[in-house]
Amino acid sequence: MHFRLVDQILECGPDRAVTLKNVTLAEEYLQDHFPGFHVLPGVFMLEALVQSARLVLEARDRAKGDGAPRRMVLGGVRALRYGNFVRPGEGLRSEVIVDKETDDGSVVFRGSATVLRHSQIATAASAGSAISSSDTAVSGRFTMRLVRTLQF
Amino acid sequence: MRWLWIDAILLHEPNARLVAIKNVSLAEDHLHQHFPEGDDGPSQPMMPASLMLEGMAQTAGILVGSVRQFKEKVILAKVTEAIFESDVFPGQSIRYDAKIDRIDDMGASTIGTISRFDHRGGGWIDIGRTEIIFSHVDQNRAGLDLPEHNFVFGENFRAILGGLLPKK
Amino acid sequence: MSHDEIFKKVQGVLVDALGVDDDEVTPTARLTTDLHAESIDFLDIVFRIEKAFGFKIGQGELFPDNINDPKYVTDGVVNAAGLALLKEKMPHVDFTAFSADPKLEKVSEVFTVDSLVKFVANKLKAGAPA
Repeated sequence: MHFRLVDQILECGPDRAVTLKNVTLAEEYLQDHFPGFHVLPGVFMLEALVQSARLVLEARDRAKGDGAPRRMVLGGVRALRYGNFVRPGEGLRSEVIVDKETDDGSVVFRGSATVLRHSQIATAASAGSAISSSDTAVSGRFTMRLVRTLQF
Repeated sequence: MRWLWIDAILLHEPNARLVAIKNVSLAEDHLHQHFPEGDDGPSQPMMPASLMLEGMAQTAGILVGSVRQFKEKVILAKVTEAIFESDVFPGQSIRYDAKIDRIDDMGASTIGTISRFDHRGGGWIDIGRTEIIFSHVDQNRAGLDLPEHNFVFGENFRAILGGLLPKK
Repeated sequence: MSHDEIFKKVQGVLVDALGVDDDEVTPTARLTTDLHAESIDFLDIVFRIEKAFGFKIGQGELFPDNINDPKYVTDGVVNAAGLALLKEKMPHVDFTAFSADPKLEKVSEVFTVDSLVKFVANKLKAGAPA
């Protein structure tokens, strides 16, 4: 499996990004999650938020003109609630917004993702049309930090 | 990629605690995209934290499921808090130590500690912790169209669950 | 335990469970509308209040059981019998605003921080067993 949870970037800036992930039965791990009831794993919704946040961080670094972009990873999660399932043939629309930066260079994000269902994709002019909150798949806060390796 | 994020169970105290491990290996395809060589640095395969969260969710989920003999569909509902202090690299092992905090008909809350082992020295070092809540789905989501059978605890768990499972 | 001490502990529970800041947790703040609590958070809050104060909370005691029964609800609106039942089961909640527009889907909006504090105070006064 390719570890890419963002298929399209709908919007991206130094404070906010909106992305899309398609869910397809071609993703083999779905056979295990779950057998006979295929749904996008909750942690992959989180990973979609994380990969979307990384796009914001790159845009942020570019805007600052600081040099090479920093490699940031998920450092923490707060009050992350799961709602609707996302099934093959449906999409996940993720939105991440910078909440604050901490002293050690970590960045806290608010993130949420909604389920895009086929009829909405077919009739909307663009996938950016408004989705009702009753279709929320996940929402919460998370922190991105620099990679920490152990010294030996 | 198979969706099994723990390799073996080390300890089970029924209704209380479950300890499982996962080995991290370069044989895992997805590590080569996390991270590949890029503008942000050289190739650096490392365990994604979201998959460590899944490893803990599977450990805690099995612990909670076993309380009611895997008759309930136990679904990840909320991560109240998760902290990943330090990262994990190929050749290292991860240990998930989950405890039930509270459980009732609607669901269960669990707390967990994540630790890392490196054969080069240092023993097990704590690198993170979690507070995860599971929902007993059938009690909570009347009206949702779910299959009858317990799809959560499927065949591929049986290999590592061994004696924890009720006899078929 | 004084009212202030109960409030501080309830505030701590909500900060931990909902990931909000201290100053957002005011007495009149509504759990859903103002603090963005969702249904799974209600279970988390019940568990944490049990732990924080050392008593057991029965199902439907702090937050109502599903009352979606034709006896109590007609066309998504809670009727007089339903409202009476809610008031009887939840003495810690102020139903004034809800009574004006008693839509079933809005029932979770009645819970304020203050209703949690009242609930705890009532339980402690009754000498609730742990």
